[in-house]
Amino acid sequence: MDGAEEPLIRIEGLHYTYQAGTHRAVPALCGIDLTIHAGEYVALLGANGSGKSTLLRHLNALLLPTAGNVWIAGWNTRDATHLRNVRTTVGMVFQVPDSQIVATVVEEDVAFGPENLGIPEDELRQRVDWALSTVRLSELQHRASHLLSAGQKQRLAIAGALAMHPRCLLLDEATAMLDPVGRRQLLETVGHLHQDGMTVVAATHNMAEAALTQRIIVLSEGQLALQGEPRAIFSQIETLRALHLDVPHPTLLARELSARVDGFPADLLTIGELADAVATYLGEPAGAAI
Amino acid sequence: MPMASEFELLGRVTIGQYLPTGSLVHSLDPRAKLLVVLLLIIVVIVSNSLIGLSLLLLAVLAGLAVARIPLRFALAGLRPMLPFLILLALLQVFAIPQYSIGATVIWHRGILTITDRSLLAGILLIARFSIMALGLSLFSFSTTTTELTHGIEHLVRPLQTLRLPAHEFALVVNIAIRFLPILAEETERLMKAQASRGADFGRGRRNFVQRTRLLLPLLVPLFLVSLRRADQLIEAMEARCYLGGKGRTHLIRLQERLPDYVVVAGALGLATGAIYLSRVNADRLLWSWLSSHL
Repeated sequence: MDGAEEPLIRIEGLHYTYQAGTHRAVPALCGIDLTIHAGEYVALLGANGSGKSTLLRHLNALLLPTAGNVWIAGWNTRDATHLRNVRTTVGMVFQVPDSQIVATVVEEDVAFGPENLGIPEDELRQRVDWALSTVRLSELQHRASHLLSAGQKQRLAIAGALAMHPRCLLLDEATAMLDPVGRRQLLETVGHLHQDGMTVVAATHNMAEAALTQRIIVLSEGQLALQGEPRAIFSQIETLRALHLDVPHPTLLARELSARVDGFPADLLTIGELADAVATYLGEPAGAAI
Repeated sequence: MPMASEFELLGRVTIGQYLPTGSLVHSLDPRAKLLVVLLLIIVVIVSNSLIGLSLLLLAVLAGLAVARIPLRFALAGLRPMLPFLILLALLQVFAIPQYSIGATVIWHRGILTITDRSLLAGILLIARFSIMALGLSLFSFSTTTTELTHGIEHLVRPLQTLRLPAHEFALVVNIAIRFLPILAEETERLMKAQASRGADFGRGRRNFVQRTRLLLPLLVPLFLVSLRRADQLIEAMEARCYLGGKGRTHLIRLQERLPDYVVVAGALGLATGAIYLSRVNADRLLWSWLSSHL
């Protein structure tokens, strides 16, 4: 296999229309070309209805293109014989914590995916234990799944995807219904996975979350509007506002400061960067305040 | 806070009223317990022998004792059914004409007649219901919901080879149980939302019909919510490669042990005995023996 050459995700001329061919047809994606390589951490931004979820659902063949093609590790998602390969390569975590948990017990829910794959019993147990320890839910493995907190449920959903040994995780606004602690723990878990080589594609409305990624893709009305590194994207505040999107708060503050203070950098993304810049400007060595 | 409890449905959802006493009955394989309960229900329906039913009642009471479940707990499940039971029994005694044709009249006043047959039918009815209720209590007090689903899944699995949808059946049971807390939560949310806009869910003195009618506005939204939840669950299952039961493996494997075999064998023996006693009309034999010797 020429796996080294082939990008993990390749999308060409993707169109998708809901209820295609009826009088209620709703175009959702209108000609997307996109390549995502193994090991990338990508954020997918866009207003409600811009097509984020529809695009993600094409990446593990939950939806098939109306026109165009999607290849996952070289497999065309239209090819039903590779459906299992596609779905084990790309795992998905959905927005609503409760309705993606199948089993009543934590460890059995993690096992649901590999059970479907027909993984033999010994390896099944290993995979479940590994996935649960990766998302740090090992102590809760015998707990009833409906008694977990929302954040724990989302980490359980990640474990359920991990147990299939995917190369890529899709997060469809997975942090949207979590409290700050749950969100931070989920992002930590995703960050660790990415460091270990996992490809991550996360649809989100949270700009601080998007600032953590390596590449931002902005969708608008079913088309690619912007694409680039977070720093480059978030410098275009007016363009983003026109697309009904926000920028991270540190970026806004840095911009206000640079307009008033000569030589203060405008393109800052995180609170850490902002603090460093302020410290430098005040003439103290960076990090001395800590 | 008595007001808050009106909406707390989750606390009331008790399928399986598990009582962890750690007894031998609790540690039995859920398949064995399911089989025994199934057998008990069949025999209780089939057997017409009071002696046989008494034996079964003794066995269930012995089971409750071994499981260390207080009798008043087990009887609590029987209490709400009691008015219906008594009504049904009275109907059996007084209102079924077949029981009075060619039977010995024991008591007669006006239009009311008790014959030996009708009296026996009434007693049998109460005995059957009590044994079933106690048996099911014993099962649900000693078996967790998880054990129940595992038991059902393992029991029906062999039927797959007969091309029956055994896996689908087990999955449906599992998901139904999984969805109960979700639906309870959704109902709670809907009730609170409607109550905050002035809906009244029947506090105070209203009868059953009136209270039920007040719940109607909940049904349509609850139905829609369930459909949406089901849609999302299907998507999540497909994303995890669910393509039907074919070729699936299983994380949980139930392990049967000697006590399980002993209990099932004992139950089989008792069941055969109770049915045999019924077939040979043991009650009548005992009755004629008693009346001739005393």
